[in-house]
Amino acid sequence: MPMVLLECDKDIPEREKHIYLKVDGEDSRDYLPVANASTIPGTLSERGCAFCGAKLVIGGVLKDTIQMIHGPIGCAYDTWHTKRYPSDNGHFQMKYVWSTDMKESHIVFGGEKRLEKSMHEAFDEMPEIKRMIVYTTCPTALIGDDIKAVAKKVMEARPDVDVFTCECPGFAGVSQSKGHHVLNIGWVNEKVGNIEPEITAKHTMNFIGDYNIQGDTQLLQQYWDKLGIQVIAHFTGNANYDDLRAMHRAQLNVVNCARSAGYIANELKKKYGIPRLDIDSWGFNYMAEGIRKISAFFGIEDKGEALIAEEYAKWKPKLDWYKERLKGTKMAIWTGGPRLWHWTKSVEDDLGVQVVAMSSKFGHQEDFEKVIARGQAGTYYIDDGNELEFFEIIDLVKPDVIFTGPRVGELVKKLHIPYVNGHAYHNGPYMGFEGFVNLARDMYNAIYNPLLKLAATDPRATLSTPAKEAAE
Amino acid sequence: MTPEKIDQLFDYVQERCLWQFFSRAWDREENIDGILKAAAALLTGQPPALDTPMDRLFYADAKVMVSDLRERFPWIEDSGAAQIRDLLHGLKDKLTEFTITKSLNHELNHTLY
Repeated sequence: MPMVLLECDKDIPEREKHIYLKVDGEDSRDYLPVANASTIPGTLSERGCAFCGAKLVIGGVLKDTIQMIHGPIGCAYDTWHTKRYPSDNGHFQMKYVWSTDMKESHIVFGGEKRLEKSMHEAFDEMPEIKRMIVYTTCPTALIGDDIKAVAKKVMEARPDVDVFTCECPGFAGVSQSKGHHVLNIGWVNEKVGNIEPEITAKHTMNFIGDYNIQGDTQLLQQYWDKLGIQVIAHFTGNANYDDLRAMHRAQLNVVNCARSAGYIANELKKKYGIPRLDIDSWGFNYMAEGIRKISAFFGIEDKGEALIAEEYAKWKPKLDWYKERLKGTKMAIWTGGPRLWHWTKSVEDDLGVQVVAMSSKFGHQEDFEKVIARGQAGTYYIDDGNELEFFEIIDLVKPDVIFTGPRVGELVKKLHIPYVNGHAYHNGPYMGFEGFVNLARDMYNAIYNPLLKLAATDPRATLSTPAKEAAE
Repeated sequence: MTPEKIDQLFDYVQERCLWQFFSRAWDREENIDGILKAAAALLTGQPPALDTPMDRLFYADAKVMVSDLRERFPWIEDSGAAQIRDLLHGLKDKLTEFTITKSLNHELNHTLY
């Protein structure tokens, strides 16, 4: 019975189709969890909305762009700076948040004038900024505000600015995933090809699906510099708006997060004939493999091997120190989707860690095909998991550490189980060779931290606080 | 050619290779065909095609795969060209079955990305 109906789901038996227990001798021809489907009524989903997928994950990372959110103030705040993606220009995108702050009267009488006024106000207040993305949200989509028409009017009034519109209200899809799709496809259709980049190297590529979480992009950029490869656009870590308009000139698209940005790589292949190379940027073994593939594509294998040797010499002893202490650790990964398949084998091979449960908020069946192929038998694979399921899975697999987001992380902390931020990291970057040592260090610090045990003890009494109290 | 050897190659590809799991059936088919063709050339001592950007992409993926296969499965060095072609043909059939024809992924045949 590889599809599992948990005890807590007995009143919502549809959840059985979303939870898979891998068993030896069975494969994805027999069982594959349902994914990218509507959340079942009765289950308290951890998902975000489609607007969040467009703004928080992709668009909001751009370092020179005003993010005008046409909606109530909460839509802006809740998708601002909760993910730490710095930039090399003083973190402009993390310092400011913009909203049209829609109120009841604007909903009743229409918000287009308010949007136009807000756009001008933002450009006036920040005269050095000439690029903007305007997002519709649930209420402004429902009342039919034509944000494209407003953007056109503003661009006519201000010939030196460029505005991209993203019409992806929260209700547009079942999860964040829809927002990734809408922004990818909109961007490639409307903006790519509008600008010609300055080509400074023989070899050029786009690096797609990396959002500079705590400096990932900047760390990997050191590798590309050493290899002499010009990255025309990072989609979208530490990137400028106009970099992304020049993506059509790259010779190769290297994709890390295939879930949030595979679409634009596919479209660039279809429209401009640029090949798509998928790699894993987390983990020693995987990162070396990715560098080897990129080097082979460009015919610079010697440079690639030299880079790998240099990085291994510098970082492998440190990784091995942590591996010695982390071997046998049981880990759960409850993140968005791709980190399940990026991480399960890399922590196993590089750190001796065993992944015992994985849950995806917005992964598609493609992501489950990947993770089930890479993951172990006896491990749970969950689509759109909810809190009660997490409690039950914890009882079943007893993880030593859980990599997840801050919301679920708070829940986990109350159970006195070590938690590491799997979305925005504790102390990243986590990509590349140095990054994976950082991940190992954070895992080690989480597991060996004595505070968790102390926190489980009530100093007022001799009895220790029951660990499950928070769940009851 | 033995089924056991094909299974070994298949298990390696399932665990290591993201190219078999691209978004759509036509992508997966294109990758399986292109990369296994390049791998066959490398394993039989023929020069791989490097004429187009897609040729170079398939070569890059195949080069890493062939290097791993040689390291993990030393018997591959003792296989003749005909046997290698048979093995890769068997591998292609199995990959096609698992990732395309019998895949339960409902998005594989969507007309758009």
